[in-house]
Amino acid sequence: MNVIAAVKPWFTNRVTRWLDRRLPAVSEVQLHRKNIFILPTAPGFLYLCATALIFVTAINYVLSLAFGLAFLMTSLFILCILHTFRNLQHLRIRGAGAEPVFAGEEAGFVFVLYRNDLQVHEMLELRFPKANWSYANVLDNEQERVKVFLPTARRGLLRAPRVTVQTRFPLGLWRAWSHVDLDMSVVVYPKPLEGPLPVASGGTSSGDSNSLQVGVEDFHGLRNYSAGDSPKQIAWKNLARGQGLKVKQFVDAQDEHLVLDWEQFPGLDAEERLSRLCYWVLNLAHRDIDFGLRLPGVEISLGRGDAHCKKVLRALALWNTGAH
Amino acid sequence: MEVQTQIPRLTLWWLLTALFLVISPHLLRLPIWISLLIVACVVWRILIFAGRAAFPNKPLKMLIVFLSIPLTIAQYRSLGAGLDAAVCLLIMGTVFKLLEMRQRRDMLIVVALSYVLTMVGFIYSQTILASLHALITFTVITGALVSLQRENSYSSFTSNGRLAIRLVAQSIPLTIVLFLLVPRVAPLWTMPVPVSSNKTGVTDEMSPGNISNLSKSAELAFRVSFEDATPIHEELYWRGLVLDYFDGRAWRRSASAFQSYSMMERFQRTSQGVRNGTPVSYDIILEPTQQTWIYALPLAQLDVSDVIQDRNYTLHKEKPVTQRLRYQVQSYLNYDIDLELASALKARALQLPEEELNPRSKALAASLRQEAPGDRDYALRVLRLFREEPFFYTLTPPALGEASIDEFLFSSRQGFCEHYASSFVYLMRAAGIPARVVVGYQGGEINPFEGYTMVYQYNAHAWAEVWLEGEGWVRFDPTGAVAPERISEGAQSVLGNQPGFLEDSRFSMMRFRNTQWLNSLRLRLDAMDYAWNRWVVSYDEDVQLQFLETLFGEKARERLFLALGVAISTFFIIAAFFLLRGRKQKQFDEATKYYLRLMQDLAAQGVGRKRGEGPIDFSARVAKQKPELAAAMAEITAIYVQLNYGAIPEEGQKDAMLFARLRQSIRILRLALNTPIKRVFLRVWPGQF
Repeated sequence: MNVIAAVKPWFTNRVTRWLDRRLPAVSEVQLHRKNIFILPTAPGFLYLCATALIFVTAINYVLSLAFGLAFLMTSLFILCILHTFRNLQHLRIRGAGAEPVFAGEEAGFVFVLYRNDLQVHEMLELRFPKANWSYANVLDNEQERVKVFLPTARRGLLRAPRVTVQTRFPLGLWRAWSHVDLDMSVVVYPKPLEGPLPVASGGTSSGDSNSLQVGVEDFHGLRNYSAGDSPKQIAWKNLARGQGLKVKQFVDAQDEHLVLDWEQFPGLDAEERLSRLCYWVLNLAHRDIDFGLRLPGVEISLGRGDAHCKKVLRALALWNTGAH
Repeated sequence: MEVQTQIPRLTLWWLLTALFLVISPHLLRLPIWISLLIVACVVWRILIFAGRAAFPNKPLKMLIVFLSIPLTIAQYRSLGAGLDAAVCLLIMGTVFKLLEMRQRRDMLIVVALSYVLTMVGFIYSQTILASLHALITFTVITGALVSLQRENSYSSFTSNGRLAIRLVAQSIPLTIVLFLLVPRVAPLWTMPVPVSSNKTGVTDEMSPGNISNLSKSAELAFRVSFEDATPIHEELYWRGLVLDYFDGRAWRRSASAFQSYSMMERFQRTSQGVRNGTPVSYDIILEPTQQTWIYALPLAQLDVSDVIQDRNYTLHKEKPVTQRLRYQVQSYLNYDIDLELASALKARALQLPEEELNPRSKALAASLRQEAPGDRDYALRVLRLFREEPFFYTLTPPALGEASIDEFLFSSRQGFCEHYASSFVYLMRAAGIPARVVVGYQGGEINPFEGYTMVYQYNAHAWAEVWLEGEGWVRFDPTGAVAPERISEGAQSVLGNQPGFLEDSRFSMMRFRNTQWLNSLRLRLDAMDYAWNRWVVSYDEDVQLQFLETLFGEKARERLFLALGVAISTFFIIAAFFLLRGRKQKQFDEATKYYLRLMQDLAAQGVGRKRGEGPIDFSARVAKQKPELAAAMAEITAIYVQLNYGAIPEEGQKDAMLFARLRQSIRILRLALNTPIKRVFLRVWPGQF
């Protein structure tokens, strides 16, 4: 086991490098003789075992027709190499990107599968390493779109690994596959983390009138009590539940703009700050409030709407990752 | 993943059909309670499938398995049939697996078992029909695999079936090559053989009635094809066994004559008999008899490894003939055996029961002996007795009592060949002449289409051999004295009208041999079956070597593997060429290209053109599904049809104008389909033209 454990990373590394040389990342790939691999499947070996059993029985009982059956099974097995290979051959695959997702969700990469000629492709299976399979058929239409999912863990720009395209059609005795790198990536937003939006202290906020407006109408969270807070704003119910003295915070709907600031979450680490900011971006976008973003080195002015929201989320996703 | 582990519903039907095909030939052969259990399990599975029943729970499964396996073994132990029990357990195992088949993995195991069970069928039958049945079964199992691979959404019974048939058909060429070329080897180890409860054909005991019983059967005993001309009917005495021990009623092999196989082997090396003249060469395919002896014309010489000649010059195999057996024989019809009769053999050939039950016969022998002192004269005198006295050759003789010889010779005088052979040998021995009974077959029917000879069970016969000084063992057939046409023309010509003939073969086509076309159909079918057996079923090590030698000459064995490699690669290359060459899209004309683009856009809207649907039908369907497109589609279709299928216009100019209009219309419609403001376009459409 130790030897295997020691050799495995080295081996995986070698395979990866070999694949990188053999099948470099491209935006579109066509499968052919040189990038399709083919090997028998487990059911294929079971089938071979049955064939061997029939063959041995044929020898021992001198059953001419049982020989015939064993040979028919062998021929079919050999023929399936061609059929399985053919099912993948000439398939053209193009990456069509993926919609951004939040960390922890599955990113759905869209692949467009084209058939070049009249050769149809049945029961294609696609997946990223260790992820779930997606299925596609390219039959009547010349192209089909298939979404292949990849789990995400961290925010940032996630580059899609090689996708495995395989088929076991027609009998499941052989598996033909290719590992395709279509140079795709997806923006992974931080995972939204619900929490209060602390009032920015005068010192840390930029001093703009619109840095943070604490209102009284729109409840949006709780914060710890500090001396001087109005008793009206104390969350009595929470106190009764033994959750300590909290103060309800409200945002004024009238003041429909604020700048979300990195400095509003002192004491938290960077990722948590981004997650909380992400939550508030969604929250504000949902309520149609103008908002901006201020991160170290990044500043996005006030705005609203889908595009603005995406721009802000993207900034959160890519902050300090080196990607743009 | 969910999709991967579930069994598609369609697949289950394929598999059930395959299992039905695989198991049905065995159902009648299996003990009735097992057959019922199997049917019950399959019905249960169908009920599960229909949602009417649940999967059996674990205790119930255990109960079924732990009850049925010991019961099966107990059932078969009494029969001593190891192979039959194994086959039965295999079938039951497959059917039980069906009951707990929930996932693809389980199904794959059932599929593998079904393939094996297809082979098991061949242990019991290798006829053309059985082979066709197996081929169909194989295709259906393959269809089950195909439908397992395809999603339910687009797989259909016919599409899966077509693909399965195509796959099997494409594999057949290589199958034939492998069948011919893959070296056949001798069995690796001995296997239990299926025990058939009914041994057919001639047995090693002859008592009144048991050969006449065989005449009720039109079953085939063996088929012979002679290399040169077929000898005349009277020469066709297919010798089986020599019976030289008489207990007063039945003839058997004497205990001392019944030699062990190794003793026979020793005899084979020492004594061979005298062969005169040129031999007749022929090739026999013997139907399974479940007995160890085989049939041939005397004096036979054959070179088959495990067939041996015993002291009586009969042929024995080491193991019973449980499958069709093909062997080549050379027979010297002119022969001398045992010119010197060893004293032990002589004593055996003179044996009579100690208790005298047939005094009148003994007296008859003594009186005849006085008339004819010479041994040969005496034998001929006895034959004359049968010929001249009112003896009858009949299938339904009256039953005989204790003194069977006396009763036959003096009162009933009606008998079948066993009666005549028995009393003839008795009279010989009573006169002190060594004699013995021989059982086998006599005659045969020549198939006019292929020229081979068919020997049926009703050709079973018993005759006598008498030892004469200086001549050795000489054949005498007392039946010939009573019914000469039995020997010269065959049993069917004498017995054809007698009640009881072919009684056991009520549905045999042999019964209709007097109807011209049915008879010729029967003979043709038999010729087919014979060819099948000769060239396919009997294709073994020896035949293969012969075939390869005609193909590759002397060095067949060395060239075999090369030939095999070449054949397989050739197949692979040819198949690859046809399968892997790209099937290029047809070169569409310009109009069609535009039309097809429109089809694509319409398909994206949910109105795809079906396979084989013509443009006009399609247009009508679009009008029904999307009325707002009706006018546009009608226009485009009209132009397209005019362009593609209309009469050739007189001048090219007109054609070009039509094409321009088509292109324009399609462009506008596609624009309308693909832009949000399509409603506006569509509303103004009719005014466009």
